[in-house]
Amino acid sequence: MIVRIIALPVAVEGLLMLLCAWVGMAMGDATAHHIVLPGAVTTVGGTLCYLASRLRRHSAAGRMAYLGVTLLWIVLASVGTIPLLASGSFTSFTDAFFESMAGFTTAGASLFGQVEQLPACIVLWRSLSQWIGGFGIVLLVLAVVPTLGIGSYSLYTAEISSADNTAKLDTSISHTIRHTLTVYVSLTVIFIALLVTSGLTPWQAVNLTFTHISSGGFALFNDGIASLSHTQQLILLFAMMLSGINFAFLYLLFSLKFQSLRQKLDQLSFYLLLTAAATAVSMTALHYRMHYGWSDALRLGALQSASAITTTGTMAADTRLWWPPLTLLFLLLALCGGMAGSTSGGIKAMRVLILLRNVKKSVLGHLHPHAVDPVRLNGKPLADSLVTNVMVIFFVYLFTLIGASAALLLTGMAPIEAVGDAVACLSGYGPGLATSGGFGSYAHLPSAAKLICSLLMLLGRLECIPALILLTPAFWKR
Amino acid sequence: MLLYLAVALLLPVTMSAVVRDGALTALLLSEAATTLAGLLMTGTFRLLASKSRPHRGGTAKRHNALWITATVWTLVPLFGALPFLLSGTLASPVDALFESVSGFTTTGASLIVQPQTIAPSLLLWRSMTQWIGGLGLVLFVIAILRRIGVASLELYEAEFSGTLGRKLHPHIAVSVSRMWRIYLLLTLLLAAALLLCGEGPLRSLCIALSTVSTGGFMPTEGGLTGLRPATSTVLTVMMFLSGVNIALLFHLVCGRPRPLLRSREFHLYIAIYLVATAMVALSLTAAGNSLRHSLSYSLFHIASTISTCGFYLPSPSHWSLWASGVTFLLLFLGPMAGSTGGGIKLKRIMILGHSVRNYFTHILHPSATLPLSVDGDRVEPDYVSKVYAFVFLYIMLTVAGAFILTLCGLDLQNAFAMAAANISNLGASPLLTNLGASIDYPALPLVGKCTLMILMTAGRLEIFALLAIFFPAYWKK
Repeated sequence: MIVRIIALPVAVEGLLMLLCAWVGMAMGDATAHHIVLPGAVTTVGGTLCYLASRLRRHSAAGRMAYLGVTLLWIVLASVGTIPLLASGSFTSFTDAFFESMAGFTTAGASLFGQVEQLPACIVLWRSLSQWIGGFGIVLLVLAVVPTLGIGSYSLYTAEISSADNTAKLDTSISHTIRHTLTVYVSLTVIFIALLVTSGLTPWQAVNLTFTHISSGGFALFNDGIASLSHTQQLILLFAMMLSGINFAFLYLLFSLKFQSLRQKLDQLSFYLLLTAAATAVSMTALHYRMHYGWSDALRLGALQSASAITTTGTMAADTRLWWPPLTLLFLLLALCGGMAGSTSGGIKAMRVLILLRNVKKSVLGHLHPHAVDPVRLNGKPLADSLVTNVMVIFFVYLFTLIGASAALLLTGMAPIEAVGDAVACLSGYGPGLATSGGFGSYAHLPSAAKLICSLLMLLGRLECIPALILLTPAFWKR
Repeated sequence: MLLYLAVALLLPVTMSAVVRDGALTALLLSEAATTLAGLLMTGTFRLLASKSRPHRGGTAKRHNALWITATVWTLVPLFGALPFLLSGTLASPVDALFESVSGFTTTGASLIVQPQTIAPSLLLWRSMTQWIGGLGLVLFVIAILRRIGVASLELYEAEFSGTLGRKLHPHIAVSVSRMWRIYLLLTLLLAAALLLCGEGPLRSLCIALSTVSTGGFMPTEGGLTGLRPATSTVLTVMMFLSGVNIALLFHLVCGRPRPLLRSREFHLYIAIYLVATAMVALSLTAAGNSLRHSLSYSLFHIASTISTCGFYLPSPSHWSLWASGVTFLLLFLGPMAGSTGGGIKLKRIMILGHSVRNYFTHILHPSATLPLSVDGDRVEPDYVSKVYAFVFLYIMLTVAGAFILTLCGLDLQNAFAMAAANISNLGASPLLTNLGASIDYPALPLVGKCTLMILMTAGRLEIFALLAIFFPAYWKK
């Protein structure tokens, strides 16, 4: 069962390595040929395991799925270290694992300060890992998380299945996957085309699209996207904003089903509202505190707000030099995250919205203790248990954050950096505070801290619960 | 309410008259103003109450109740600030108000840099505000609400988490008077103990008033300097006790220790206290202090932090980052529900913990029905969601407060420490900052002081009650 979950993605990963090697060789990259052999071995190994696992029929045991999905990400990231190590970019496994995890979880926290020196095959490998990771998240949300009753899936289907309530779960899942894939691939193609027309080379366009549409945020240049033209930055801004929108939404949007869209605008409007508010605040601050002109302030404010709320983490300026309250604002935005069912990380705007509505309900419930007014979303009442689940996730998230910050403190980091990096990694944002923020990197971290951060990225990506449940004794009991 | 305040003011007035410390005029003036306003208010209030009672239903009463709570919490600190202002101790009205709010909310963040230099009667008044705020205001409010017939128990159940009336006595007035008795008893005991330890009478009284209310105004500059070992032991014990549910203390005093000893919340309280003390002591020892010193320091420090009292001793010579981290986290926990301390309260934390555990069990066994109970009391799902909302709001307010403080020019670390210390009504704590010095309140700009006042009040009052007023729905008929 678990082998089956993992083997196929690993085989695909091997194929992608081969692709990177081929592209690298075509671009005259000296290290690319080192990846060919590992790539081939991975592909063959993955395929064999997959075939072997098909020989024995297993019933899909629900709780094994948690183990499977957690292992999947760990294995993907571990195998993903092969190109990084083989090409000589890293000598230590911990470092490579961190970078690889940052790719597959689309966190985008990087150990490379100087990305322009990297060989072409590695650049493509990093971008590809994020692109695959971005899509994998959606698959994860659809295929594995359903049993958690939290949210992601039920909230996701609450939106998509109203078109076809009678469909069985599995057919609706395969439909959704197909729709999602269509949206994801067509968005990628569109944005590559747009970026090429705006004057970038195809190589740059592909890499930038891969890292932005997946809300990953690995940088292609040493100075983020600061040196790109304003048009190109605008295109990337759109790419980021789209990456924070639920795929079901995008699908409805593309298939021009505005009718069904209109009934589900709560989360979207909250997401857009937050982004707009953050943009306004940062614009004002940039103008008055940092003395940018209004147009520059608007551009940078919008880019950084979008980059934060979608947890992309791409940088249009070195935010380390910005006014400190702004960096705090961005981290908070990243904690909130984009819409549920998008590639972005964080707690998800949907949950934050439910939390806020519950607060409102509790406050007003104080006035009218006997009134029955459930928390509503899109006008529909939500079950109490669902609301509680959302809150549990929020607090588990928070506890994880506190625990991780404490652990990072123990490795000898400064408190602000420890908390900042923990937030940045758990939410999948990427750049933390101080040294690891802005155009900086995580290279200065002690290896123990790198390991902790890798785990945090994993936890954040899996929305904590599927991974944490493995730690409960009850999980292992028969 | 203001009348009560006026009565309370009489004490420092007499003292001032006896000692002749120059604050007599100021105190007398405040006394007169408060009495006058109090009489006026009472009159109006009676009038209003007698008029409105026949017409209004339950909801309207609730509106009134919230309204009264808000009014009390604005007026009392306002009048409480008068002595500071009129005596010239604090020159600006906002500063005087800050000191007063900080007192009545039992926060203990002080703008008076050198408390030993101000008039002793004012010092006493400062500590008294805390003592009144500790138990007084809430219970006074309950008393008032009863007069207009509001179900005050419901209103305050989240603050005292259902332990107030249910456990002590079915009748709320009896519970209230019992709680007062315990409160008084503790204070007198502590004052006597401090006297016995050889502290001066004024100092003993001030410290006692500040301790039992978990306030934390200190009569000297730079922490409690020059304490005798015996005094610090007594204080440690008393700070720890003031974090215990008063209802359970009442049972204990009446010779029924079982409710206290069997309370899971109490077990958790002790466990957290011991673990945190051990952690801080270890980290301080590792940082280079002597084991003996760091142990006694952390025993005192953690008791002060977890009960949100906010006393501190002169800092140890070597400072430890880890100790600050532990201190910061403790701020959010707070002591037991139904005590005078601030913070989220352990009972709520327990409910959270149980709820999370139930959730995990539920994932693995989807068909299991899992009731949630804490200390033998069944907790309804509706209440659980309220607790979540509370904690969420608490954290949001802390973050928002910290954000505003960063706007005032503080760095992130100090801003968060300050916001957390004030919403939890801790006040001052040396281990929250890098330097090992206490947080510098007097240097804050005006906006920062106002933010902190709001945070203190939000932390002390039930946040919900405060917030309800800001919702449009509250004003709708």
